[in-house]
Amino acid sequence: MAVAGTEPGPFDWDLLIALTAAPFASDVVTTVLRLLDATLRRGARTQVWACGYATALTQRSLGLFKPADVLDLRAVFPSTAAMVGDLLREYPESLLWQVCRFCAEDRGALEHIDGVPIRSFSRFAGRVAASATTVYIGGA
Amino acid sequence: MNGPALLVVIEHGYRGSAEVQFSDLLYVCLGLHSRLGGADLLLRGGAVSFAVEAGPVPPLRIGARLLETAPDPRRSLARLLAAGVRAWADEADLNHRGFTADRLIDGVAAADGAELAAQWPEYQRVWFL
Repeated sequence: MAVAGTEPGPFDWDLLIALTAAPFASDVVTTVLRLLDATLRRGARTQVWACGYATALTQRSLGLFKPADVLDLRAVFPSTAAMVGDLLREYPESLLWQVCRFCAEDRGALEHIDGVPIRSFSRFAGRVAASATTVYIGGA
Repeated sequence: MNGPALLVVIEHGYRGSAEVQFSDLLYVCLGLHSRLGGADLLLRGGAVSFAVEAGPVPPLRIGARLLETAPDPRRSLARLLAAGVRAWADEADLNHRGFTADRLIDGVAAADGAELAAQWPEYQRVWFL
């Protein structure tokens, strides 16, 4: 007997990446960006659910560039918001980057770049159910 | 004492990459060295790998973007050394990760962690980044 929600496909999404680990603490942000590049390039439909301090990655206030390198003022370095924004524009039909409302509110990170919705955690289970595979990248 | 008043200790490697770029912990250390009258640097734990010879960090492809500014700890460390920072790597931690002292970049010395710790009282400040 099938249990509701466990039947195999078809799925709206090939991959859900749940990112709860904090940036600036390990290589998880790079891992996620590389996973996005690899899966989207192969035609997959991939969504990201950013929780915790990962909600900071797409804040509008980050702008396009990191703060200046005081040792090389002419150099420019893209912000994470710019990296995600460019991916969203490159893959408008197959990439969704969403942030957890509770975590965003808890951190005062409520203004995000265009195309990044803020979602209630109550919708997380639906996102998992709609994805063929979920990769949970956690860690404190 | 003859050396600087500040000893910076870094123990954890891999503290971000795409989001960090130029502003890695060694950049912070350089800022402390510049602003606080000098600093010594001790690498322990996974951070000893910062001082192990390796090729340049390759660029990251993220969609249409080729990110060529990922942190390169050896490049950052070379800049620190050029600025006059003295640097050591804990030899036991090196060995624990399969490295030997002859793999260290020029200017970084392997040292016994316990012997170095015995010198900590000579610093006014010992800060763990």
